[in-house]
Amino acid sequence: MSEMLIKNATVYDPINNINGDMMDIAVKNGKIVDSVNGSAQIIDAKGRLVYPGGVDAHTHIAGSKVNVGRIMRPDDSRLNNKPRTKVTRPRTGYTVPNVYSMGYGYAEMGYTTAFEAAVPILKARHTHEELEEIPIIDKAGLTLFGSNWMVMDAIREDDLDRLAAYVAWGLLASRGWGIKIVNPGGGEAWGFGKNVSGLDDPVPNFEVTPRQIVRQLAEANEKLNLPHSIHLHCNNLGKPGNYETTLATFDVCKDIKSKRDRQSLHVTHVQFNAWGGNHWGDFESKSEPIADYLNKNDFLTIDMGQLVFGSATTMTADGPVQYANARLLKARWSNGDVELEDSSGVTPLEYHPQSYIHGIMWAIGLELALLTKDPWQVLMTTDHPNGGPYVNYPMVMTMLMSQKRREKEMAKIAELTFERTSIAGIDRELDWYDIAIKTRAAHAKVQGIIELGKGHLGVGADADIAIYDIKPDETDATVEFDKVEAAFRHAAYTIKGGEIVVKDGEITATPKGRTYWVKATAPADGHERMMEDLKMKFKNYYSVSMANYMVQDEYVEHPYVFETGYQ
Amino acid sequence: MIIKDVLCPFCGCLCDDLAVEVENNKVVDVKHACKIGASKIMGHDRIKAPMMRDDKNGEFREVSYDEAINESAKILANSKRPLLYGWASGVCEMMKKGVLLNEEVGGIIDNTASVCHGPSALGVHEKGLPTGTLGQFANRSDLVIFWGCNPVQAHPRHMSRYSVFNKGFFTTKGRKSRKVVVFDVRKTDTAEMADEYVQVNPGEDYLVLSALRAIVADKADVVPDSVGGVPKEKLVELGEAMKGAKYGMVYFGMGLTQSRGKYKNIDNAVSLITELNAYGKHSILPMRGHYNVTGFGQVCAWETGFVNAVDMSRGIPYYNPGETCSNDLLMREEIDAAFVIAGDAGAHFPAQSIARMGKVPVIQVDPFHNPTTEMANIVIPTKVSGVELEGTAYRMDSVSLRMRKLVDVDFPSDEEVLDKIIAKVREIKGASS
Amino acid sequence: MQTVTLVPKEQFKISVEAETITPDNFAGKSADEIGALVAFEGNAPLSLSDLFDIKVDGSADAADDVKIEINGNVNRVKRIGEAMTAGLIMINGDVDMRCGAKMKGGTITIKGNVDSWVGQEMTGGEINVQGDASYYVGAGYRGEACGMRGGKITVFGNANDFVGEHMCGGEIVIKGNAGIMPGLSNKGGKIVIEGDTDMPGSEMTKGTIIVKGTVKDMMPVYQKEGIEAVDGVEFTKYVGDVVVDGVGELFVK
Repeated sequence: MSEMLIKNATVYDPINNINGDMMDIAVKNGKIVDSVNGSAQIIDAKGRLVYPGGVDAHTHIAGSKVNVGRIMRPDDSRLNNKPRTKVTRPRTGYTVPNVYSMGYGYAEMGYTTAFEAAVPILKARHTHEELEEIPIIDKAGLTLFGSNWMVMDAIREDDLDRLAAYVAWGLLASRGWGIKIVNPGGGEAWGFGKNVSGLDDPVPNFEVTPRQIVRQLAEANEKLNLPHSIHLHCNNLGKPGNYETTLATFDVCKDIKSKRDRQSLHVTHVQFNAWGGNHWGDFESKSEPIADYLNKNDFLTIDMGQLVFGSATTMTADGPVQYANARLLKARWSNGDVELEDSSGVTPLEYHPQSYIHGIMWAIGLELALLTKDPWQVLMTTDHPNGGPYVNYPMVMTMLMSQKRREKEMAKIAELTFERTSIAGIDRELDWYDIAIKTRAAHAKVQGIIELGKGHLGVGADADIAIYDIKPDETDATVEFDKVEAAFRHAAYTIKGGEIVVKDGEITATPKGRTYWVKATAPADGHERMMEDLKMKFKNYYSVSMANYMVQDEYVEHPYVFETGYQ
Repeated sequence: MIIKDVLCPFCGCLCDDLAVEVENNKVVDVKHACKIGASKIMGHDRIKAPMMRDDKNGEFREVSYDEAINESAKILANSKRPLLYGWASGVCEMMKKGVLLNEEVGGIIDNTASVCHGPSALGVHEKGLPTGTLGQFANRSDLVIFWGCNPVQAHPRHMSRYSVFNKGFFTTKGRKSRKVVVFDVRKTDTAEMADEYVQVNPGEDYLVLSALRAIVADKADVVPDSVGGVPKEKLVELGEAMKGAKYGMVYFGMGLTQSRGKYKNIDNAVSLITELNAYGKHSILPMRGHYNVTGFGQVCAWETGFVNAVDMSRGIPYYNPGETCSNDLLMREEIDAAFVIAGDAGAHFPAQSIARMGKVPVIQVDPFHNPTTEMANIVIPTKVSGVELEGTAYRMDSVSLRMRKLVDVDFPSDEEVLDKIIAKVREIKGASS
Repeated sequence: MQTVTLVPKEQFKISVEAETITPDNFAGKSADEIGALVAFEGNAPLSLSDLFDIKVDGSADAADDVKIEINGNVNRVKRIGEAMTAGLIMINGDVDMRCGAKMKGGTITIKGNVDSWVGQEMTGGEINVQGDASYYVGAGYRGEACGMRGGKITVFGNANDFVGEHMCGGEIVIKGNAGIMPGLSNKGGKIVIEGDTDMPGSEMTKGTIIVKGTVKDMMPVYQKEGIEAVDGVEFTKYVGDVVVDGVGELFVK
């Protein structure tokens, strides 16, 4: 019923090849349409920058780990406090915002969709309880499968149909969007305080290797024809020299093809996995061989995992890494192993520009983005809140657009950084189109949600639109980066499903977003074998009954169900 | 009709394997539960209708829900420092409304943890919490330590379902797969069945924990001959056993949280566990009391950023146990109205706090009579969550599960009552602004 | 010199948060202007003139020339002197929690007793408590790495538990007894306890604690070094906490 016309928009819509055209955008009933009639609400963009609503393909915004972070950190919750308004609830937190701030913060930056990057199936109910409380944005969760007993047993028995059936069941049980793999196999080894050392190190007591886990889950992913590819956090994250594991891991999926128009492997926060040297003393960037690989291979995509100096709360299913961090830094440490499924750890940290280690990490994220030729292959993320809180995305965007901005940051970074990295010599500066790719279009493509109307402004898309108070033709982003950052921080308008939710950086409405999840079907015989194994595991090993395990409908109040599968 | 896989609405074990027989909308039998769980589900005398009285020593008169709700809203809307307390034996859905009500009235919301495991949260702020889900421990632990807790009495099925007797993937011999050690000031029933009982002098657990940490760090030479009543040789032996464990597990309770040092005991125990992880795998878990006390901590944390004791009087959440916990406020006679729901202040608060509650309006929302009823001015009976109402609860290990509804009753839910109070408070405050 | 005298109009029961009472906020203001500043009694905003009788003598351009005298018991008034940078506050009575929290400079003298968290997270300035102090003298906030970083707190009476918790700098002197665990997790600073205490210096990594009275229970994690004199007085010196590889110095009479 409600109609809106955005006039005089300078639009960057890479999925539809629109590169700074001045145009009007017509909205009706929450969708983008060809035209509207005279009674439509008019918004005059006055030639300002218009992007599709931001999409964040990898962030930690909801669930057990996030809440562990909040509980552990009253020192974080006392930051960024804002009282309620007529429209908003009270806000707290910087690295671990409360649920309200989580949604408002994204919307204020013009973001409208976010993917919770790691959902343990046993604790998925909790994830959805929090997702339901996050206002405005549409969301989805990626379900953890990489250290799971049912997965490993199916792989050991070389039963791909059983594996696929379990993935389908696990996505239903967790109302998840896709397969997340973290330190494959390591989560189980961590159950006894151990880890896996690389792709071919067998998981103790299960006799499968990380290589097998990655490979078979990728195959199952494509058999099921899931919208997203497998989403992988490599082994050996956070260890100097790990880039070799990363390159070897890429190769595991080299010959896997998807029926869908997308990558067959997405590797996440690669900054933490592009490390050279043998120890902290000779630690250096290895972004170049990684970028080189990306430049030669189009079957994979990555996201940055950019470091932001200041406070962070690291939280990941990579249990061993978190323990190692906490011991090294004598920091607080919470561990959360999930029976039969995975591990997790939460440790607060501070990134200091005067630490050359942090300096190198900072450089690597940017190098990965700037050395990879195709902007579609490297998504901008900070692995919020591991590399830094998402509210810093606008700053990261300006660093990609401006060498001067990078130099300003480099001026406060320890000198040794520049002997171990190539960032100082990189003069590439991304433009408005590239940034639209890296902060919305590519995220939507990678996650397989373009066909759902996300990440673009073509007719039929969801009317998720961001108008920024900046005129691209009159602004030189390479020098006016403060102005650009300010514009990206507080959208002039954020429109979600055709409703204005942000005006001049202030929240004006708080509709509830949808939760996207995948209902997949697998052949009956594999499903039967899977269920037999699963029932036995519930009977003997799980501490909850199978009847109480799966996420019920009540927890996903506004679902969008994507159906797929195979016979 | 037999309803299977029912969750027990009593303690933090949140056993979910109960079988309840229901006939003619009445629970007639409960199987698999412990006595106390079964008793709760079987039900007992309840408050039949809302009631009010001006004089706490006087008789209650029966009133309508609307009258009770409106009067409650009036009291809360006009209070300068109202306390909203309890939030343990209800479901998460209503706890969210509690947080919202607290926002509306600018008061303090606090749950039963502040007299129980609140100190554990304070320990977590200092050190974190290396832990996992109960099934992780059930399948793996070969050394099980109960420190300052007595599960035989307080969590009757814990040892058979999770910690001691069950057979798991790596603990195939059940009881024989584990060595059980109890640290306590006296020989409890749990200590009786343990492999070893270590008696600690009252109030000296902190010293024992520090000594163990020194031993684990290979600095035993600074440890004196006896610490906390435990001889050094015994401490060294225990330290070595802990270091040699494949999966060491510490479950702890009030013995640590409520004795001298309080949260520092937890803080120290967490550090010991963290340091032991250099040798084997070790985890620690608080033995939460009520079946959904953990749930409140989760809800409050994601809603406000803080785990409990949230003061909204300045419009933004402020948290500072020692300043914003129920008893901190009551003992200072600061509270001018109290709202008690799904928790029993009367049973667990110190005398001074109860004296204060005796002087201010007290609203109770609960299906059952309990000591809080004795000091209440307004009583609003609601459904028994987990028996008459479904909803979310969090087990002691923070796994969330859905409680079932077994029978229908003609009482409102906690959430319905809270919604109405919130609406009325808004009306009152809107009128005066 | 601007002298502002505040006399509480009543004995408050419900705590009042009056972080607006600082020399910085009062400098150059008239009695009416000071009276218009806001404090909160629970959730109810009130003006300082609702709560206090206010008199102003003289004037000042800046905080360092301001003296605030509070005549009466303000044992339910919190956050007085919060974040002040200069000037003097004299409280002729008892005062509530978080007095002088985040103080940067100036002086607060309390003739009576103080409640918990006096001088919380202070970085400079001086606080003198003539009576007793409650818990967490000069301590931090939950989860923060550092409490007090600078300045000096002197308590002439006794203090309760957790004196100088998470101290990173500055000095605390307790003339009477201190409760359990003074100098907990401290990383710097100096704590002197002239009376008795219990379990000092747990998890200390750096800093100095001097106890002139008796220690009820020593932490079993300290390395005894021998006898050492401090200001001409002999103490037994310990170094620790060994568990955290601490090099803190603990002197016990």
